Amino acid sequence: MTTPVLQATAVHKHYRLGKREIPVLRGIDLSVAAGETVALLGASGAGKSTLLHVLGLLDPPSSGEVHYDGRRVDALPIGQRAALRHAQVGFVFQFYHLIPELTALQNVLLARMMATSVFAYWGQRKQARQKAIAMLEQVGLGDRLHHRPTELSGGERQRVAIARALLAEPKVVLADEPTGNLDSTTARGVVDLMFSIQQQRGLAFLLVTHDERLAQRCHRVVRMQDGVVVR
Amino acid sequence: MIAAFSPFLALRYLLTRRINLLSVLGVMFAVWAILLVDSVFAGFVSTIRTDVQNSAPELLVTDLPHDTGYAKLRDALQAERELCAATAPRLRHHGMYEPLRRPPGAELSAISSQIDFDHTENGFGILVGIDPVREANISGLASWVARASEEFAVRGLELPRSRVLDSPDAKQRAKLLVAPELEWHARKRVGLPVESSVENHTSSWPGVLLGWRRFRRSQALLEGDALDVVVASFPGLGEGAALHTHPMRMAFAGWFATGHRMFDEASMLVPIETLRTLLGHDISDSDSIDLVTDIAVKLQPGLSAAARAAAKTRLQAVVQGLLPTGSAPCLVLDWEEQNEVFLSAVTHEQGMMQFVLFVVMLVAAFVIYATLHMMVTQKIKDIGILAALGGSPRGIGLVFLIGGLVVAVVGTALGIGTGVASAVWLNDANEWFFANWQVELFPRRLFDLREVPCHLEPSWIAKVGIGAIVLAVVVAFIPSRKAARMNPVTALAHE
Ligand SMILES: Nc1ncnc2c1ncn2[C@@H]1O[C@H](COP(=O)(O)OP(=O)(O)OP(=O)(O)O)[C@@H](O)[C@H]1O
Ligand SMILES: [Mg+2]
Repeated sequence: MTTPVLQATAVHKHYRLGKREIPVLRGIDLSVAAGETVALLGASGAGKSTLLHVLGLLDPPSSGEVHYDGRRVDALPIGQRAALRHAQVGFVFQFYHLIPELTALQNVLLARMMATSVFAYWGQRKQARQKAIAMLEQVGLGDRLHHRPTELSGGERQRVAIARALLAEPKVVLADEPTGNLDSTTARGVVDLMFSIQQQRGLAFLLVTHDERLAQRCHRVVRMQDGVVVR
Repeated sequence: MIAAFSPFLALRYLLTRRINLLSVLGVMFAVWAILLVDSVFAGFVSTIRTDVQNSAPELLVTDLPHDTGYAKLRDALQAERELCAATAPRLRHHGMYEPLRRPPGAELSAISSQIDFDHTENGFGILVGIDPVREANISGLASWVARASEEFAVRGLELPRSRVLDSPDAKQRAKLLVAPELEWHARKRVGLPVESSVENHTSSWPGVLLGWRRFRRSQALLEGDALDVVVASFPGLGEGAALHTHPMRMAFAGWFATGHRMFDEASMLVPIETLRTLLGHDISDSDSIDLVTDIAVKLQPGLSAAARAAAKTRLQAVVQGLLPTGSAPCLVLDWEEQNEVFLSAVTHEQGMMQFVLFVVMLVAAFVIYATLHMMVTQKIKDIGILAALGGSPRGIGLVFLIGGLVVAVVGTALGIGTGVASAVWLNDANEWFFANWQVELFPRRLFDLREVPCHLEPSWIAKVGIGAIVLAVVVAFIPSRKAARMNPVTALAHE
């Protein structure tokens, strides 16, 4: 068996509220292989988003380990975790999380500026721009390049977010209810787009959703309940 | 490494928030004010220093004991040929003068209604006995006399330059005698007996040159007018010492102006022999001495600062050696030391002013801090997004630090631009405002200067500019650190 791109072993996470410890993740084991799509289902409050944050190195686990390509990454210094997150993971959120001051194109380009120095970026700004435009064209927004988030529909915003997540060519996309805020028709369009890109690029996908039908389109379904994987 | 997103977002955030304009304006205003006010102050100080220096001899030997004679000290000082180029005797004593008869219509002048130099109204002042012939080698006596008419001319008064120093006869110059026709007419004006014709008259009243700032009472004096000068002294000490007053009729010989305000207010220059006579040392008495209180010294030109300092010590020793044993040490002072209290007060005031302006700068820095802090608070969600995209905490902090830096640099550049421009066009602007709106931004009368002096040092510009930027970066550091330390997950969850 090949090394999984993403692996969690015995991940625990608890939050501290005053004197009380609130356990949210209670020993999660999960691995995602390259090119694999995994749906993560579970009731509200089961800890799905928390797991995604831990896997994406946004939040360190209280105990347990996270591995990228077989390498332990959760205990790395914060700057290195940021760099790895940039290189390895693309996030897509329910509420798009675009930066309101920036146009669609600038929001996508931003992903390219995270790990490049000012001067290096200046040298390659034209290619970066070309690539961002191509990315936006691929998600069907070739004619919305210079719109601000407020001038875009929900579906369009999510497409921008997808383009942004994919620009840095991550191996894994962590999507937290990407269609949770969209009507069913729009949602289907966005989902179709995501799966087509996933197939095209051989991306691994970890998709949090409440939608059983959507979950069935994935290679594998994982269910969570009260911080543990139940099946 | 500075990640590309930090400056990119910093600029985006700045450009989409008008409030940052306020920070820019704050810094600009602070820098402008510091440069302008300080340059005016520096100009003022340097004018004062020039004027004070102009009024003072290079070195002054002072604190001499009572009844010190000049000749012996002069010879000893001038024997120091490598150091001492020339000397002149000075004799200072309090005195009063009163015009023999106030000319008709001599009303108080309204030239300077804001300034009320009380003590100049009663003719009370310091008589400075000088030897005009020797003095010419030491100080700018001739230029002082010339400058007085300039000072009046600037204030719209035409008062001719005194001609007492122009006389070809050294004896006449030494007594500051006015031309015979002037004295003859003056006598006539007050009804004193005169020769039948001007030609037969010879001047006899010793002249008095008044500091030009005494014009309030006396501007209606005409050259040659009789002044009754009185000094009071206690001849002898101890038992039986009584106050003696000595009057003498003298002639008003014109005005002088050194530029040193206090000197020009309080001093009256008189021939030293006349003052000696008044103090009981008439040259014709056998037991009289050539009394001095100070000796003005001109050093040889081209001495280094160290050599001048050494000269002071050397000359002090020379003079002290000739004083009676047991005399208190005399002093040899350079021009700054002669006016130390005044000059240090001015410098101190400049320091205070700089401090006040520094507080203005602190306020500007606080505005930067407040706007950046607000920006961080508004942008919490963006901070989470940037973290999710792989932005390092350092890069995220830099977004706000660079924001502060840009505000500071732009504000400082504008402040320097406007500051330099205002310093250059200050007098034009001042005049323009006065001509069009009767507003004087810098009331020259208050400072009593011909124009507002302005002295902008490039090194001061650099210091203020760098200081403003460093200060802004320091205050911007606090909100940036807050941004850098934010937990990305809480930031993303922020509503
Ligand atoms: N910062 C926090 N401090 C304390 N408790 C937290 C914090 N973040 C999350 N939790 C708790 O952890 C639990 C899991 O939250 P999480 O957001 O992972 O659930 P979820 O499965 O994503 O739910 P949903 O489907 O509603 O998005 C919740 O009970 C929540 O209250
Ligand atoms: Mg969730």
